[in-house]
Amino acid sequence: MAAATAEKVQEIREVTRIERIGAHSHIRGLGLDDALEARQVSQGMVGQVKARKAAGVIMEIIKEGKIAGRGILIAGQPGTGKTAIAMGMAQALGTDTPFTSIAGSEIFSLEMSKTEALTQAFRKSIGVRIKEETEIIEGEIVEVQIDRPATGTGAKVGKLTLKTTEMETIYQLGQKMIESLTKEKAQAGDIVTIDKATGKITKLGRSFTRARDYDAMGAQTKFVQCPEGELQKRKEVVHTVTLHEIDVINSRTQGFLALFSGDTGEIKSEVREQINSKVAEWREEGKAEIVPGVLFVDEVHMLDIECFSFLNRALESDMAPILIMATNRGITRIRGTQYKSPHGIPIDLLDRLVIISTQPYEEKEIKQILKIRCEEEDVEMNDDALTVLTRIGMETSLRYSIQLITAANLVCRKRKGSEVDVDDIKRVYSLFLDESRSTQFLKEYQQEFMFNEMTQEEMETS
Amino acid sequence: MDAEEGLSSIEASDLLKYLTEIEMVAEDVLSSRREIIDLDRQRNKTREAVRALQKDKHRDKTWLCAGNMFLKVEKSKAISTLTKDYDELDAEINKVRSGLRPKVNKLRDLEKKEDLKGFDLDPLTPDEKRSVESLLL
Repeated sequence: MAAATAEKVQEIREVTRIERIGAHSHIRGLGLDDALEARQVSQGMVGQVKARKAAGVIMEIIKEGKIAGRGILIAGQPGTGKTAIAMGMAQALGTDTPFTSIAGSEIFSLEMSKTEALTQAFRKSIGVRIKEETEIIEGEIVEVQIDRPATGTGAKVGKLTLKTTEMETIYQLGQKMIESLTKEKAQAGDIVTIDKATGKITKLGRSFTRARDYDAMGAQTKFVQCPEGELQKRKEVVHTVTLHEIDVINSRTQGFLALFSGDTGEIKSEVREQINSKVAEWREEGKAEIVPGVLFVDEVHMLDIECFSFLNRALESDMAPILIMATNRGITRIRGTQYKSPHGIPIDLLDRLVIISTQPYEEKEIKQILKIRCEEEDVEMNDDALTVLTRIGMETSLRYSIQLITAANLVCRKRKGSEVDVDDIKRVYSLFLDESRSTQFLKEYQQEFMFNEMTQEEMETS
Repeated sequence: MDAEEGLSSIEASDLLKYLTEIEMVAEDVLSSRREIIDLDRQRNKTREAVRALQKDKHRDKTWLCAGNMFLKVEKSKAISTLTKDYDELDAEINKVRSGLRPKVNKLRDLEKKEDLKGFDLDPLTPDEKRSVESLLL
């Protein structure tokens, strides 16, 4: 029974992800072995051995549930795999640990204050594990027998014969059960579960042994095996819900539909306090476990000084998730102030963080990444073209060369070629400018662009 | 050479010990499952018998089989005996079930798998469940 319920745990929250081929869709994990050593190429990760190893160590601590309320900063130049590492961590954590990913600029919205947006993101990253337990009767219907009184009116009585692979038994039915059986259209050969407490009947499907009873059958008829074991079972299901979900449900003005429309508005702090105390109570009674999750804030330099001071405070609360931030800035102005600080983050917050830095990729690594991307995007490319593309990647940027893959593939298909070769790459390279060539172009022809005359005149007068 | 052989024989005996232990624990789990099934079958039969006796309005006395002896007893007495049996079976099943979880966890521990998460929690009461029901899809 316990084994069967274990499988059910895996089933929950398995929402099919409709994912287009995104920039990081090839990441499957951190690519570490059991000893937390980073493999050179694994799970879509290439290079960045040190950073991945560091991330792996942090992952272990997260899994133990130990460092709630700490922060990690991933710092590095653009295109060095910061987001990739965060994505890898999310994948490696599995479905049971909540992972929320936001971009720094996401919190600036007219409908919600900055702190509200941050609080919601925080609470989305804290899971609460709860268990529900139900006594059910589960079996295949062998026979339903309903006796109607001869007069036509009065109470009906009936019998229901259920079986599992191990046993078979007869239940006497009362009026209510007969009604719900007729409502569910349950008949011999159906596999049903009956909730003992509520008497609710649920049809799971038809028994495989009855698969050939009729020739014409609805398309939605589901065939299931006859249940094993005892008839009267105890079903235990463990759910992990986030604090934010509970908030939304209990925030009365909204109702639970708000959860799906995405527009939750602001949640009153009283509601949050109530939920906090309820969850704390459950934890005391052994009814709930807190699962600290991970909040990932990309482009963290986009946050302003108010948000930083909020984060400072929020990290100290006893229900804080692990905060992972990523930035590509060096020493820069803190948003909302005149002061400059490393990574655009105030020193006092920086002091609470551990910093992982990512290094620019080497040529070999870029080639490997491009190869992985080709596979991800279903593009056939010969070796020469890949070498040329790698050179482009070295001289311009990794992102630019990744973007050329799809474009080159289209050019290749247009000339009805089977694999992308050097000419295709050259063609798209001449069609699409990279950032440095575009800058070069602008510098040369600046005078001919719009609004240029104005600034020119102003500059002359001044 | 001798030392190597000695080492491998130690390893082999360790392995054997390990496997025996796993098998023993696994067997324990299986026998508990078997026991629950047998008890549930008995429980259902008892329930059927009680129902049948309750429906039967013609006779005052009935045959009750105890061990391999048939006794003719008062129907009310028979019903109360059976109900008591039923309650005992119920309690017994619950006891075996509660014992099953640590056994499964021990097995998973031996197999170097992680413990089942959250199964050692106490369940929510129906009232509490209702308040978060829409989340529990």
